[in-house]
Amino acid sequence: MESHPDSREGVDIILRTVGLTKRFGKLEAVKDLNLELHKGEVFGFLGPNGAGKSTTVGMILGLVAPTAGQIELFGLKLNKDRWAKLRRVGAVIEEPAFYPYLSGWDNLEALARAIGGIPKAKITEVLERVNLLDRAGDRYDHYSMGMKQRLGIASTLLRDPELIILDEPTSGLDPAGTKEVRDLIPQLAHEHRAVFLCSHLLHEVELVCNRVAIIKQGIMLANAPVQELLMKGQLLQIKVDDLGQAASILTNLPWIKSVKIENDYLIIDAPEDSASLVNKTLAEHNIFASELVNRNVSLESIFLQLTGGESGD
Amino acid sequence: MTRLIGAELFKLRKRLMTRVLLYVLVGITIILYLLLLAVSKIAIPAHGPAEMGEIQNLLGLPMAIPFALSILSSLGSVLAVILMASSVGNEYNWRTIRTVLICSESRFKLLGAKLISTGILVLIGLGIGVATGFIMSLITTAIGGYSFDFSFATGGYLWDQFLQFWRTFFVLIPYVLLGFLFAIVGRSAMPGIALGIGILFLESLVTTFMRLAGGWIAQVPDYLLAANVRVITSLANLPQGFSQGMGIGNASAQLSGVTHAFITLTGYCLVFVTLAFYLFHKRDVTA
Repeated sequence: MESHPDSREGVDIILRTVGLTKRFGKLEAVKDLNLELHKGEVFGFLGPNGAGKSTTVGMILGLVAPTAGQIELFGLKLNKDRWAKLRRVGAVIEEPAFYPYLSGWDNLEALARAIGGIPKAKITEVLERVNLLDRAGDRYDHYSMGMKQRLGIASTLLRDPELIILDEPTSGLDPAGTKEVRDLIPQLAHEHRAVFLCSHLLHEVELVCNRVAIIKQGIMLANAPVQELLMKGQLLQIKVDDLGQAASILTNLPWIKSVKIENDYLIIDAPEDSASLVNKTLAEHNIFASELVNRNVSLESIFLQLTGGESGD
Repeated sequence: MTRLIGAELFKLRKRLMTRVLLYVLVGITIILYLLLLAVSKIAIPAHGPAEMGEIQNLLGLPMAIPFALSILSSLGSVLAVILMASSVGNEYNWRTIRTVLICSESRFKLLGAKLISTGILVLIGLGIGVATGFIMSLITTAIGGYSFDFSFATGGYLWDQFLQFWRTFFVLIPYVLLGFLFAIVGRSAMPGIALGIGILFLESLVTTFMRLAGGWIAQVPDYLLAANVRVITSLANLPQGFSQGMGIGNASAQLSGVTHAFITLTGYCLVFVTLAFYLFHKRDVTA
């Protein structure tokens, strides 16, 4: 196999996709997707509605057949002895779905019986872990959305997976529940697992993920560590008396990507550590900054910028 | 595969609908026996001694098992189709199909486990149905004041009933697989139930019209389900009018051979099950 654009030497690769493509008729839902997920990593997978996130997850889990490309799980091709690899993966796709007539416990027992080799003590353990043990005997259709989400996470933990795929795990949770799940996700990754997290809550992704990929219309727009992405998106905020003149001077500089005026400030997209150079350039034109600060950019604004303002899902 | 069968049986066992279907089976069998008992006690002018004798004969112990199996071949088909179609189709309705698939060794084994587990429950249902019929026969014999004579229960008789039990199971399979196939095609329990039961009833009607049409059209039903099912069920040697299950048409006069019926029904089963597995295997499972 040719070297992966995102590969890192000496790191255990849990998941790798190479040129992954899915077409539904004429619609190309996922185009030439290259991803890598490493042990201990929480990977955020972001994109607006219809970006191809669920299709990608479906392909990784063998629910959707790729049109082209390859998926490797734990260093082995997925299409050979699929169950041996998928047995090591736990997943909740979109909203959790369980049998409404069974209790939380019975739902997990049904799954445990299908997977095999899972003792009843494990069911108790995972229910305790998601704080659902006291309601384990209640019927699933009597659960609140938050309880359903927690049961979904418990189901992924049943087989001690090395890769956990969570699609919107905090959807429908109250703030306390959201925090609970948010705290749980990095813990899961620290247990030598990798977590693949699809979420539209960009702030949450920023808090828990080490790395993110952003896709739109099946094409990957960004794939980088969160900090790197945030640094790339950092802007300079400058306050000067003559905003117009300062803007025209800076616009002519080739290393400045963009200049705009926003609420009596100049907002400049310039390379990292360029603040002193910007200040010097303005001073050479007798324009003196009364304020010059790095403006932190959130993952949300980067996401909106890359996806053209479409909301995430 | 054993694990998946265990999981499927666990879900079916815990489901209220499974028990409801069983209660319906037992309830209708009891009602039918009580109705026959009532009819046998009422002197209807139109009924001659021969007809009355046939009804009383049906209530007697020797006919208990064949009569119960006759009821099960028709009523059992309906209930088995509902059980099968809902076992597969509700995975789509409840959106649990993806949850189940990612916990299953393969799609092939999952479908296989569903078929086998439903088959096991249908067999249990048949057993309970036969037991209910026999108990009701004992009760109606006692109430009716008929004699308790078990001399009929020879080895040959029991062997015949054993064969008839499996024949009854066999004639349920095409309809069950039809429900199975259409639940997968329609990604829901409803198409499986509607088409499985719909064809069970409508085909007999269509068969009657085709027989009346004459010519080559009259031969077509020989290759459909209902006429061939009737060939198998008529081996029970029940009195005329009680051996056709749900069948509406008067097709018994033109029944084809048992081998032909067996081959035709087996052919249908193979086509239904192959199509169902092929579709389920090939199709993407999306939201």
